[in-house]
Amino acid sequence: MKREIGLEARPENLKAIRDFIEESCRGAGVNRSDAHDLKVAVDEACSNIVEHGYKGRRGPFPLGVVFEADEKKVAVAVTDRGSPFDPAQAPEPDLEAHWQDRPIGGLGWHLIRRLVDEVLYESAEESGNRLTLIKRRSSPEKTN
Amino acid sequence: MEITMVRRGSITVIAIAGSIDGMTASSLVTSFREQVSGGNIRIVSDFTAVDYTSSAGLRALLETVKETRQQGGDLRLAAVQPEVLRVLELSGFTHILKLFPDVEAAVASFPA
Repeated sequence: MKREIGLEARPENLKAIRDFIEESCRGAGVNRSDAHDLKVAVDEACSNIVEHGYKGRRGPFPLGVVFEADEKKVAVAVTDRGSPFDPAQAPEPDLEAHWQDRPIGGLGWHLIRRLVDEVLYESAEESGNRLTLIKRRSSPEKTN
Repeated sequence: MEITMVRRGSITVIAIAGSIDGMTASSLVTSFREQVSGGNIRIVSDFTAVDYTSSAGLRALLETVKETRQQGGDLRLAAVQPEVLRVLELSGFTHILKLFPDVEAAVASFPA
């Protein structure tokens, strides 16, 4: 099963992207727990593009989401034409730090890495940026 | 997302309904900041009807926890739902924030 959606990278479109992931997961029979994890991971990836990807640039600000599911896994590709950002550059937060020492922000990539099994990133001048998030499907019985 | 506020003695109960994301978190930040700048540093946030949060919600919570605690108060959460709890846990926020099963328990947890 493959579905895709294309929108402008704007904060008001984040909900439409989450709804798209939810509907796609439902259509592909992905269990609720996996669907939630994917929804957060894709939302975080798209929020980064909305917030940082097109900073200082003129529109349009294309943002694409491609959902592909088979019986073993779900792959969601997020594409944009903004500034490249390799997720390998995102530092891991110190989750054990005292509240006074926890910085505000910097949790988006951490959540993505925890919520999906694989994060692939490619960026090219001609084709733009493509982030692929892969989640292996857990058994259908598993719920929250 | 909808935000409603009720005073319970020295405590402000802020009930949130809906999804907290990169679009809606700013109004939550504004509500929290208004309370803290008005001297209301004992806050319970009722999460009964919060069905979703991204890291944008975590930023709002951490900022408010820091601001209130630095002034001798606190932000405490009530009735966090399982999917939101998962995001809090994965981010280490269950070590930072005090969570209660309901608003009554959260309100009662503040010293009189």
